[in-house]
Amino acid sequence: MPERELDRPRRTISGIELNPSYNGADLPGDFDHSQSPGKPPFARGGFELGYRSKLWRIFQLSGFGNPEDEGERIRYLLEKGETGYIMEHDRMTADHLYDVDHPDVSARSEDVGLSGAVILSVHDFLLVLDGIDIGAYFAHPGGAVPQHAPFALAGFWTAAQRRGFDISKLIGTGQSDFFLTYVGCPPKEQIPASAALRLNVDIVEFCAAHVPRWVPVSIAGYNGADSGLNAYQELAAVMSCAVAQIDAVVARGNLPPAQVAHYLSGVNFRVSMDLMEDIAKLRTARKMWHDLLTRRYGITDERALRMRIHVVTAGSAMTYQEPMNNIVRGTLMALASMLGGVQSLGVSGYDEALSIPSETAHHMSVRIQQILQEETGLTAVADPLGGSYYLEALGAELEGRAWEFFEAMENQGGFISCLDSGWIHEIAGANQIAIEEQLLTGERRRVGVDVHRIEADPFEVDGFSGVDDVYERAVERLAKLRRSRSAAAVGGALRELDVACREGNNVMPPMMEALAAEVSLGEVGAVFRGAFGQWDSPIDLV
Amino acid sequence: MMDSRVNPRILLAKSSLDGHWRGLNVVSRALRDAGFEVIVIGMATSAEIVGAALEEDVDLVGLNVGGRVEAVERIVGELRAAGCDAPIFAGGTIAPSAAKRLNHLGVETYPPGSALGDIVAAARRLTEPAP
Repeated sequence: MPERELDRPRRTISGIELNPSYNGADLPGDFDHSQSPGKPPFARGGFELGYRSKLWRIFQLSGFGNPEDEGERIRYLLEKGETGYIMEHDRMTADHLYDVDHPDVSARSEDVGLSGAVILSVHDFLLVLDGIDIGAYFAHPGGAVPQHAPFALAGFWTAAQRRGFDISKLIGTGQSDFFLTYVGCPPKEQIPASAALRLNVDIVEFCAAHVPRWVPVSIAGYNGADSGLNAYQELAAVMSCAVAQIDAVVARGNLPPAQVAHYLSGVNFRVSMDLMEDIAKLRTARKMWHDLLTRRYGITDERALRMRIHVVTAGSAMTYQEPMNNIVRGTLMALASMLGGVQSLGVSGYDEALSIPSETAHHMSVRIQQILQEETGLTAVADPLGGSYYLEALGAELEGRAWEFFEAMENQGGFISCLDSGWIHEIAGANQIAIEEQLLTGERRRVGVDVHRIEADPFEVDGFSGVDDVYERAVERLAKLRRSRSAAAVGGALRELDVACREGNNVMPPMMEALAAEVSLGEVGAVFRGAFGQWDSPIDLV
Repeated sequence: MMDSRVNPRILLAKSSLDGHWRGLNVVSRALRDAGFEVIVIGMATSAEIVGAALEEDVDLVGLNVGGRVEAVERIVGELRAAGCDAPIFAGGTIAPSAAKRLNHLGVETYPPGSALGDIVAAARRLTEPAP
């Protein structure tokens, strides 16, 4: 700890030195006092009437266990007032595209279903969705990981068709995010990042033709940030990722840049406990998005220029010690997200550091948001902090640093090269160490952990351990699937999928056929691994 | 054997098929800075963990836990059954009740928020040659 509080360094997590106070002289030179929410460049918000016209979507990560368990939890959240839902998939099977009887999964059978439901075929999607009005809610059916996304989207859409819905009317989002599995949490095997980029192009084009109201892919800066990237690095990396994807779709020649940019304009960021920097980050993100699209692509369509933001509050900010304190942290990060003008929000569970969310943790994550929406009066005025000397100065500083970092990434050969070479991981890893050092010196402090620590948690929270019959039941479902379907139809569908992968045709039409023919997750994985090979991961720790 | 070695040797492995590497990065760095020889094998099955612990003749096994306690208990059991008697410590997402079960097996637990200094001190204590 610094000996005197006055000697404590006062920097944002990005390392921006803070003044003791700010005044009008600190406003950026080109600061426009007349700029309004809903007007370009949208720093002050995407919508003129802010939350008066539309509240943010309450959108929680949810899922574990058997498909029925996940469905039950989603229905619980919707009953509490969640306004969209997210299907979490078991990481061991979904992220890897392994069936549950893959040797690397059965070697850890106890863990199956802990991180999400085991969803192996269209039947399992139908089990999760039983009792949920598919047409009524904005859905995120999974596919956070690029190699899993085509299966997850096709599985959801095929299930919706079987329930009688017209997929051209469905609303929801894909994800296909590079930051999760190419930066923060690489699976043991996944396709190369360049192949993932190609799959994302396929998804965007398929949505444009068949599921036009769907957000095809959604860049998730969160996963870069919670892996160590600081605020301006997260901003820059999101922009760089967008450029890689816009360029790839436009290069196919089927869609104009403005339409492509619109499809990519639903973006996710992390909000952490560095509240002012992260409020500034969200405002700056919208401005950078506008500037990137107008300058680089000459886009004028405001639907594309208006970035819509989903925030997940930092899981890494949630402490193991005294977990109930995390309800306060979740509230503060949710408040910052709201002040940053988000369209969608998920608040980490108070038991985040112990387990996946318990029912009561999920309950609190929803209630935190409802209290902010209903009780605080903060929804009356758009961008309530706009014009704050401090906030505007911080935003301008972040923007300058972010464009510099963006240029550095472009100079490294662009987003995909930064993943392949390990350049971005080096930076994230060094930041992880730096944050530990700041905790050690007392520059940063966590109550109940680094300061004000007590031995026993008065609330005795023990987290949520899930259900324990998941592996066995998934093995049974898989056996039943293999017995009941037409082997000829499956074989034919997988051959069609393989041809599309190898010849560069859009994989989504044959993927829809494959899901309809009741292929399993692992069968799709085998085709992808055969056609695309494996990413040569630069991360040597896992 | 252990006496002749200058730096104690630690095996770090992930007990679950989950690639989050932030904890491994921070802990492996701190242990190396403190002079330990650290072998990181990342995501590994119990058989791979046992094989590496024996082959490398490690003085301490560190498990990065992201899954259920039953899986960790099984890994501990397999290590002991295979004749590996190195002490074991574990970090990661370990709920209090799970920590109790592992402590009962002689596994020290370091949940999120543990000071790196405490983890390094534990590694020193656990690898000290018996008096």
